[in-house]
Amino acid sequence: MSRWRPSPAEERWLEVASELGAAVPRAALAERTGGWRSAGLLARVALFVLGFIAAALAAALLYVMFGLDEWATLLVAGLIAALVAEWLTVAKRLHASGIEEGLCLAGFLLIVAWITTDELALIAAAGAAGLRRLNPFVTTCAVIALVSWVADTATAHSLDQVVGGGVTAVTFGCTLAALALALGAREYRRPSHDRMLDWLVATLPVAAYAQRAQGYDFESLVAGAGTGRLAIAALLLALSIALLLTGLRRRRHAPLIGFLGCVACLAVELRLATTLATETWLILYGLAALVAGVTLDRYLRQPRNGLTSAALTHREGPLDLLQTAGAAVLAQRSAPEAPPPDSTFTPGGGRFGGGGASGSY
Amino acid sequence: MRPAQSPWTTPLRRAYSRAVHTLEPELRSLHAEGVIDDATASRALARDRRMVFSLHYELRATLYAGVLLVMAGLGIILARNLERIGPLAIVLAVALAAAACSVPAVRAKLAGRAPTVAGEYLLLLAALLVSADLAYAERQFTLLGPLWSWHLLLLAVVHAAIAYAFASPLVLAASLTALAGWFGVGGTLGDVLHFAESTPVLGARALACAAVIAAWRYADRRARPGTSFSDVFDHFAANLAFWGAIAWCLEWPWLAAGLPLLAVLAYASVRRGLDTGREVFLVYGIVYAAVGLCAAVVPRLDDTSALLGFVLIVVCAAATALWQLRRRLRESDP
Repeated sequence: MSRWRPSPAEERWLEVASELGAAVPRAALAERTGGWRSAGLLARVALFVLGFIAAALAAALLYVMFGLDEWATLLVAGLIAALVAEWLTVAKRLHASGIEEGLCLAGFLLIVAWITTDELALIAAAGAAGLRRLNPFVTTCAVIALVSWVADTATAHSLDQVVGGGVTAVTFGCTLAALALALGAREYRRPSHDRMLDWLVATLPVAAYAQRAQGYDFESLVAGAGTGRLAIAALLLALSIALLLTGLRRRRHAPLIGFLGCVACLAVELRLATTLATETWLILYGLAALVAGVTLDRYLRQPRNGLTSAALTHREGPLDLLQTAGAAVLAQRSAPEAPPPDSTFTPGGGRFGGGGASGSY
Repeated sequence: MRPAQSPWTTPLRRAYSRAVHTLEPELRSLHAEGVIDDATASRALARDRRMVFSLHYELRATLYAGVLLVMAGLGIILARNLERIGPLAIVLAVALAAAACSVPAVRAKLAGRAPTVAGEYLLLLAALLVSADLAYAERQFTLLGPLWSWHLLLLAVVHAAIAYAFASPLVLAASLTALAGWFGVGGTLGDVLHFAESTPVLGARALACAAVIAAWRYADRRARPGTSFSDVFDHFAANLAFWGAIAWCLEWPWLAAGLPLLAVLAYASVRRGLDTGREVFLVYGIVYAAVGLCAAVVPRLDDTSALLGFVLIVVCAAATALWQLRRRLRESDP
């Protein structure tokens, strides 16, 4: 039993408590989890943000109130944030509760920023904070930042000039995703290690592809042709097949989400290689997604070999909230155009629709 | 006849791959000690072994992407190809597409089945197509003339009718968004967070809309005790009410009403979270209260140190309160 973070056994019991929810009495698991306390997803996100903001505010306050110079402020604020995070862990036994994770990340970044402003060092600090806190979100952000850093190096630019714009970043990101996929075949004692690899598998293909779109404007992407595009398409295709097969074989969501991301990237590549009008490809791809969804839904309505399209739980979760918000966003976008300029309806102030709305939405 | 095998007597075997993370030893231990019953243990074990694996979320993501892309493409068509195709042809074509999209939901209803996930999203697409069609027709033919904004209310009613006919929470969200639009406020989180553009009048509109939605929720709950719409109503009403209260906190003398209202709403939200075990209402109550307090006080502080100190205290207090309330939520679990 460690004071600094849960042992693998304790973390596994925390995972059991999370999986079973209210079906298992808390008291029955209290001893097994070593007294570690964590928060649910939404509270964890809110506490993470609050912790990060608190550390940033503390730094600003030290600078303004005590007149410390910039470098001393970074060090002192970083140390305070990191120490408070450690105190919360050791004394209050907080694990994966958000607040100590936000403080730790901010603390590590501030301390490393005091030592050096080198981008790679900051990425390493974020990665170290993620590993210290066993937080898959932070480690994934660090790896995505690493892909971005690699894409910006002189070597990558030289390679891109030879093989095509953005190929290096996509190749690097996809290779890391493939590596994470391969490492996921091992059985880890800590569920958090599994999750870290899962997050990489699910996000890296899209994140790496987004680097390409970010670094090169749309016109140049459309104009660019040849081996670069072919290489990216081949890479994405190979990775998507590997992700799909692995996802189905292991029955895990992360490779399947990664597969969906690869398909989206391939769709954009296909669009860039053709001269279809934007609205045509949007509708064609949309219809293709709908047909695929309807077919899959019909096929798996009755479970086949354990695979089903039905939800396994009816508990309201963050994804239900996301679904409601998503429907509202779609509804808002399909709702009315700007009000007619000669409208005689005067009351207003609303920003989207409604009487006197500006129509800016 | 072969006896049914208990999951506890079958050897340690997973559905497809041996190389996956498993909590099976822990689950077995809990079952052996009698902490969890047979049914719970069997379900948990089946999921852990991946004997049953749901693609529900992947399916929803795919269908949502499909609806999003189709609506984006349609938006461009409506904007660009008006003269080439002609307004009437566009209106009819979109109406036809909407009717086609609603077929799976209609068939499910006629057969007495609940709509499938795909059916629900196609129904949402149908409702959105109706929205776009109606908005387009209104713009082209100015059917309502100076009362153009009332077509948002009409849209809210039409969507509500569709939502009730097919018991679709997704279409209800579209209806509530149109209703919020009619009141002159956005119905999404992004709009709710645009505090800089808030005004007391906009706040009053948001509060009025939240009150209407709360009343609607109450009536729906009374008329249909088994309703599945309450969550959607709750989220819309809570967000709009908090947004309205915060908008009031920005300007004097509305501040005098805004701050007490914010406190009442925060208390009600936290109370609701604790009573129903829903963490999201704790987050709403604490985070919106912190934002509202900062919105009320920060513009009135001239000294930077005092300003930073105040915000830091509010953030720390919010984090502590959220953590403590979250603990109470967990402790109240059975």
